[in-house]
Amino acid sequence: MTPDIKIRVADLNFAYRDRTILQDVSVDFTENTITALTGSSGAGKSTFLMTLNRLWENIANAKMQGSVEIKLQDQFRDIYAADLAVTELRKMVAMVFQVPNPLPMSIRKNVAFPLKLSGERSRGLVNQKIEQALKMANLWNEVKDRINEDARNLSGGQQQRLCIARALVLEPEVLLLDEPTSSLDQASTAVIEDLLLKLKDRLTILIVTHHPEQVTRIADKVVEFTDGSIISAP
Amino acid sequence: MKYRSLERLTIIFSWLAGLLLLTTVSLLLGYLFIKGYQSVNLTLIFGEASPMRALLLQERVFNGLFPAIVGTLVLVLLSVVWAIPIGMATGIYLAEYASPRTKRGLDAFFDVLSGIPSIVIGLFGFAFAVFLHKHYSDRIGPCLLISSIALSFLVLPYIIRTTQAALEGIPQEIRLTALALGATKVQNIFLVLIPRSLAGIMSGIILAIGRCAEDTAVIMLTGAVASTGLPRSLFSQYEALPFYIYYISSQYADRAELMQGYGASIILLLLCAVLFSVAYGIRKSLTLFALYRP
Repeated sequence: MTPDIKIRVADLNFAYRDRTILQDVSVDFTENTITALTGSSGAGKSTFLMTLNRLWENIANAKMQGSVEIKLQDQFRDIYAADLAVTELRKMVAMVFQVPNPLPMSIRKNVAFPLKLSGERSRGLVNQKIEQALKMANLWNEVKDRINEDARNLSGGQQQRLCIARALVLEPEVLLLDEPTSSLDQASTAVIEDLLLKLKDRLTILIVTHHPEQVTRIADKVVEFTDGSIISAP
Repeated sequence: MKYRSLERLTIIFSWLAGLLLLTTVSLLLGYLFIKGYQSVNLTLIFGEASPMRALLLQERVFNGLFPAIVGTLVLVLLSVVWAIPIGMATGIYLAEYASPRTKRGLDAFFDVLSGIPSIVIGLFGFAFAVFLHKHYSDRIGPCLLISSIALSFLVLPYIIRTTQAALEGIPQEIRLTALALGATKVQNIFLVLIPRSLAGIMSGIILAIGRCAEDTAVIMLTGAVASTGLPRSLFSQYEALPFYIYYISSQYADRAELMQGYGASIILLLLCAVLFSVAYGIRKSLTLFALYRP
């Protein structure tokens, strides 16, 4: 049985201020796997992630060519097509950044934030989804008694799991992580790695990482970037 | 060795400059208070009227500063109320929407606006009032409304610039946070970027308040008079503290009157202090509200 393809990237070129960042990148990603994106810094890994949720469009002087198709709701869709609103895309292709970036509000409000953005008003449903997302991110037991406290009082590892919970609350199909553990200690890193292995059943995960050990611990597949191209995809 | 002494000199110079500044400010305040503290009392504010009845607007104050204090307060509030929405909207446009070319053009334009002397803005307000008087209604003339609009033009650049700078100073990661969660541009601006910039924007508003409270050139051409009592409506003339100070210091008849001028200066400073503390209080609670509202 051939594994199901989730993301198809073809002939992707990316330039920032007339400097080529990605060149002719073509690669597929399989559903319900963890793919590690590796390579030296500046090789275009983070940029590559941003082409999958169109976040690069918010950066000035950037240009992209090529096509990205993602299977969303069981149907391959060109994510750059006009009929797919970028806000809808980003609800289905979530992203977690390198440095934990909770908004300066309570834990509860942070997780509820994406729901608020999409106009969810039913308080009962919101509470239920918050609990669900925090449980999925293995954070519920640690924060359930102080859910209305400022999120910035959490430890770095907890903050990052909060950001993962916030990314999960809209039940995305793809999760993009840009070096999510680079600012964390070993113990917190291990917790997040376990979490990602658990989440793989629900969604497709792409993770940028610099640590070879992390790759061996969690990745099903490795894509290595060198100077804007992919050199190995075993 | 050479660099070491250069570094030393820089530090010494900085200290001296700081000291000079502190000395000047304390000399100025000290002089004012020593000269004026004796004249600051209820009689200066309320004249012969009873303070309680004056505050309740039951008795008119003739020989006191009460109408000027109220006039200045109303004037500051009105000007800031006109300037805040327009200034913030312009700042948001410049920081978030304008193309680099438009931005360059408008930047130059607002630099010119902030460089216009207040007397010129006052003259324009006066001309505007005369125009309205001639073409629309005999009852319109220099008044509170015209003054406050002219003043709001004077302080618009502060609010525009601080809004723009506060928004542009937000780091890329924070800009992208909400967008990556599916926020539209407008949601990102109003739910994340503006709440984060409120402190910066409020400091622009505080500057604007100070400028509105002290400016004399604009108001003396657009509606402030030496004696008229409390402002009755937007279309009436009014009294204001800075104009009173200017008036009394240029034509005082005796020492006692000059002392009233010092007293008025102290009261103007106190009024500014009160307005500033209110603005700081609002800034704090507004930021909290914006980020933590239910």
